Amino acid sequence: MSLPLYYFLTITAINILMSWALYLPYRVAHLHFLTVANMAISGYLSGWLVQGLGFSFWAALPIGLLAGGLLGWLLSLFIGDAPTFTVVIVGFTFIYITRTVIENTKAVGATMGMFGLPLVAGSPAAHRWALLALLYALVLVVGFLIHRFEHSRLGRASSAVFVDKDLATSFGVDIKKLGRLLQVFSSTVAGGCGVIYGFLYRSFHLDFFTFQLVGLFMTIIFVGGYATMWGVVVAAPLLYGLTLLFPPEVASWRIVIYGAILVAVLVLKPEGFITRRLILNLERLLSSKRKKI
Amino acid sequence: MRKKWFVVLAALLVLVAFVFTGCQKEGATKRVKVKVEQWEIPFMNSLTGPIASIGEFLHWGAERAAKEINEAGGISGKPVKVIGVDTALDPQKGVVEMGKIVQNTLVALGPVPEPVIMAAMPIAVENEMMSMTATTSLEYAEKFFPWSISWFPKTEDRLPPLVTAWAEMNPEMKSVVQFVAQYGPWPGMAAAHNVGLEKAGVKVLNPVEVAQDMVTFGPLAVKALEQKPDGIILSCFPEKAAKIIQELKSRGWKNMSRILLFSSADDASLYSTGGASLNGAIIYNYINVDVDTPRWNAFKEAYAADHNGMQPPSLSTNYYDAVYMIKEAIEKTGVTGDPKKLKEERKKIAEYMANVKGFQGLLFNWDMSGGVPTNKPTYLFEIQDGKKKLVKEIRD
Repeated sequence: MSLPLYYFLTITAINILMSWALYLPYRVAHLHFLTVANMAISGYLSGWLVQGLGFSFWAALPIGLLAGGLLGWLLSLFIGDAPTFTVVIVGFTFIYITRTVIENTKAVGATMGMFGLPLVAGSPAAHRWALLALLYALVLVVGFLIHRFEHSRLGRASSAVFVDKDLATSFGVDIKKLGRLLQVFSSTVAGGCGVIYGFLYRSFHLDFFTFQLVGLFMTIIFVGGYATMWGVVVAAPLLYGLTLLFPPEVASWRIVIYGAILVAVLVLKPEGFITRRLILNLERLLSSKRKKI
Repeated sequence: MRKKWFVVLAALLVLVAFVFTGCQKEGATKRVKVKVEQWEIPFMNSLTGPIASIGEFLHWGAERAAKEINEAGGISGKPVKVIGVDTALDPQKGVVEMGKIVQNTLVALGPVPEPVIMAAMPIAVENEMMSMTATTSLEYAEKFFPWSISWFPKTEDRLPPLVTAWAEMNPEMKSVVQFVAQYGPWPGMAAAHNVGLEKAGVKVLNPVEVAQDMVTFGPLAVKALEQKPDGIILSCFPEKAAKIIQELKSRGWKNMSRILLFSSADDASLYSTGGASLNGAIIYNYINVDVDTPRWNAFKEAYAADHNGMQPPSLSTNYYDAVYMIKEAIEKTGVTGDPKKLKEERKKIAEYMANVKGFQGLLFNWDMSGGVPTNKPTYLFEIQDGKKKLVKEIRD
């Protein structure tokens, strides 16, 4: 496989997973930007475990996942049922705190970053195949879990919470428990992504985890469609691929083009390109048992 | 008689053959059959995004060199083209672009800056292709040796003599406080400043951290002044350094020659923000814009013509010199550009560059040893009305 294709596929997978990690708490109207901090914390932790303590990547990965989940759980105790704005502020604050802690921690390279992370398999080619397989296995597993969630009582409950919290509470939905579940799940996924992200680049630098990522994932969710998980699957490769296909003359207008797409989508199709209705119609097309809505 | 002439003729023929083949001087241009119609050099740069203004003048420098080289006959007789590859400071874009570049490129320029270097350079290393990271510090570049070279000596060797020289210019200065931003190699540079101060017998006071998102600087100035320092070093972003100086002056700081700004603050935003309040402050950097040579004067004029009369910034010459170094490496190692010899010729270029001697840079000549420059000068300047006046040159 060519290197550009490999990086396109792996980074697309990371963007899908991270956008899902933002999408899922958004089902209960939480913009959970803590996920970017989770990425950085678990990523740097795994780097330190591997370089500093001699762990293998395969041992560091579950620890990174656990660290993400643990931090997500701890914070969810306080913001599990918080309003959207509070969750946003906590997320941004944690990105700042994480950056400051890393900047001052020599064991993880402080402001310089971490260099020369080892291959996760015997050769560069094996390393690439291992990461690619791992990422798409994660996409399948996380996608399956989100799909099951969306078709469960919890999924319907989260839709009710998104529309009206008070109404959902009156129906017996435990808003805090639901919010906590989604936050912990998304933080766990983000932790795993952080670990793999660093080993993909074979280095860590604080500027791998910036607010630019928040902007990218938000664009993916809102252009693709925030009401179903499939919007992310369509928008992540398109938005990332577009930037790579632009000729140099157009590339400098990239941000303008992104902005124009985002504004156009918000005005013309506020739910994004992939709506719940579209998915239902597609499901009906593929099934003879149901009638078109 | 005829036999004698025959011997003389044979001897002459041998001599001529010797001169044209075996007796080629070390370092002389090798005559080879070039296999490319045009030398293409990709330059991974940040042409858009937060540091686009820096990316623009880096690219301008590289293109200027290519233009001059082409006007003088090209590289081994073939024209050279610098191809801008925009990474927009995005590691995600950087790795894909580097993945494309390593497929068939002989040598590349960049990436710029550190986050993209860290993400993309491992790909160049794995594919054994030299990519010249000419704007980063040795501490980053050396991680990718021998497939990169450093444009700067080791921070801890380069900076202490500068700071010691500044301290010696101010013999009454007994204690110094430093403003430091936690960004990339800057804390390491701040530590090197302290070494220079200690060498000059100056007491190092507690540093004041300048957060990247900070917008008001009065409290920082108070924090520094309450330690009663005799001198100040600013190792932070340019516009923040200018605002800190304004705050210090508004709180009674008078002796401007006891303020030292580090090289990364030497940017247009320092002068546009600070204006006349910077007058008398000292700044160190690696180029001296007052050098008077035809080549440099032409560069300065061309830069001013393309940039509304501005002087070339300190990093603007780096990729200009890098393109010339590529030309020298190709011509002196007999590289042909033959795709079949890609691996071998990449290695030749990397080895040549890592140890080039007497390289004729735009502003000065220098040597490389093991990928590190050994004798580049550094300068102390005094700022007056937005311009720098040379105070001292420091060279090993």
